[in-house]
Amino acid sequence: MKRNGLKYGVLVLLLAVVAYNSVYFRKLDEVKAKGATSKFDAAAYAEAFWKTKLLPDSGKAVELIALIQQLKTDKDKAFEAHSHALSIGNLRYFLVRGTGKITAIGDHDVTVMLSNGSEITIATEYVFGNAARDASGLISLTEFDNTMDLNNVSAELNKIIRNRVVAPFKASAKTGQQIRFIGAVELNREHLHTDAIEVIPIRI
Amino acid sequence: MNKLMKYKIIPVFLLLIGLLMAGSCQKSSGEQGPKKVAVIISTLNNPWFVVLAETAAAQAKSLGYEAKIFDSQNNTALETDHFENAIVSGFDAILFNPTDADGSVVNVLKAKEAGIPVFCMDREVNSAKAATSQILSDNYAGCVAIGKYFVQTMPKKAAGTTINYVEILGLVGDNNTWNRSKGFHSVVDLYPNLKMVAQQSADFDRNKALEVVESILQAHPEIEGIFCGNDAMAMGAYQAVMAAGKAKEIKVYGFDGAQDVIESISNGKIMATGLQSPQTMAKTAAIYADEFFKGKRDFPPKMPVAVELVSQANITDYSALTKRN
Repeated sequence: MKRNGLKYGVLVLLLAVVAYNSVYFRKLDEVKAKGATSKFDAAAYAEAFWKTKLLPDSGKAVELIALIQQLKTDKDKAFEAHSHALSIGNLRYFLVRGTGKITAIGDHDVTVMLSNGSEITIATEYVFGNAARDASGLISLTEFDNTMDLNNVSAELNKIIRNRVVAPFKASAKTGQQIRFIGAVELNREHLHTDAIEVIPIRI
Repeated sequence: MNKLMKYKIIPVFLLLIGLLMAGSCQKSSGEQGPKKVAVIISTLNNPWFVVLAETAAAQAKSLGYEAKIFDSQNNTALETDHFENAIVSGFDAILFNPTDADGSVVNVLKAKEAGIPVFCMDREVNSAKAATSQILSDNYAGCVAIGKYFVQTMPKKAAGTTINYVEILGLVGDNNTWNRSKGFHSVVDLYPNLKMVAQQSADFDRNKALEVVESILQAHPEIEGIFCGNDAMAMGAYQAVMAAGKAKEIKVYGFDGAQDVIESISNGKIMATGLQSPQTMAKTAAIYADEFFKGKRDFPPKMPVAVELVSQANITDYSALTKRN
């Protein structure tokens, strides 16, 4: 009887050890993140793209006032001539430049009045999306096997913009100040609103 | 004797030549007919995938090809049968919506070995070299836009005050689930006052989402936002929130651009969704097949299709979508 009890006790203990080591809890996103290791260095790619392609090429940006005018008169031609996007669909990106006077400084953006009187905003808080990556048309989709690498390039470029462009701009911007800017703009070809243009700054 | 043999051989020889010529004529007339395109779809039980299948077949037909739709009924084994059938029946290209990112790779490779190009639509297979090209919604970028809107629309509170939210994931084994989640978190995680108190899967299913959110609300009644990996789950989550009498306190966000969610955004119930375009993906896949037949070979391994944010801020732009069907 005593021996049987000992036997069952050892068995229960063994089962408990096996059960304890068989089940464990981990966060779902941690498991997925571990499996999705990529060799591509998005930060290095974004840094090189920023320095050797985007900034040197920013002189080719289209004048924003002229672009807005063309979008109003011949939308299709404006999109055809000046927009780029790595994805297919309605969302397209423009590399633009302009000059204007700061009329308001908000928590999330700075409002600038262009020389023709129209107002645009320069994003200072929500710098996200693919505008900086796609607007110049200098990145080719065939360079990438993996779309996550492309997404990471966007995230790294936006990080560069937040740190090197937005931070000093926010610190120095004053109402009434005249500024010159180069930036990227996202517009929807099907649902176009030229009265609410937001520029992701690239150089100010 | 020899002469007799000669006379006997001649008709046999002529008959053989005749048969050979008939065979070759039949083959050449087969080769001259239109090329055949197979459209193999994960399931035709979901209207979204019906649109994908029918648009792909219609586009292939409009380009001058024969097209046939195969329904895999969310069953990878049945999908394998369809691939074998397509290979044996002499289909020239496959427009493909996989049942499983990993399990479907072997089917795509079989077609590749048989020299048949495969163009994936909407769902990807986990192999960079198997498919000729994969035309996929830009889930990540779509959820970056939703994440940005989420941050903009969460209640503004005093500095240091935490806002709790919940994420409802789709199928854990599906790449789209994680691309959406990563896009959302690439924005929201930059705001430390936004705290995710629960992250659970509801398998892209409305009823499961209802149950999961009901249970979460018991443990975390204070949450103020729910981000769902698709619209079906957003509808289930909203139902749970309504039942708990918290529709005004908790904001729900989805993804897909389903008609009922677009209508709910229009009615001020759901906050936003990401509008995918099955038509664009299907048409592009058929056009790629056409280009392949004409000799093009340098296709992008993955072609993203833009996802548009539809929110309470821009719902008037998409009012036409509330009147579909």
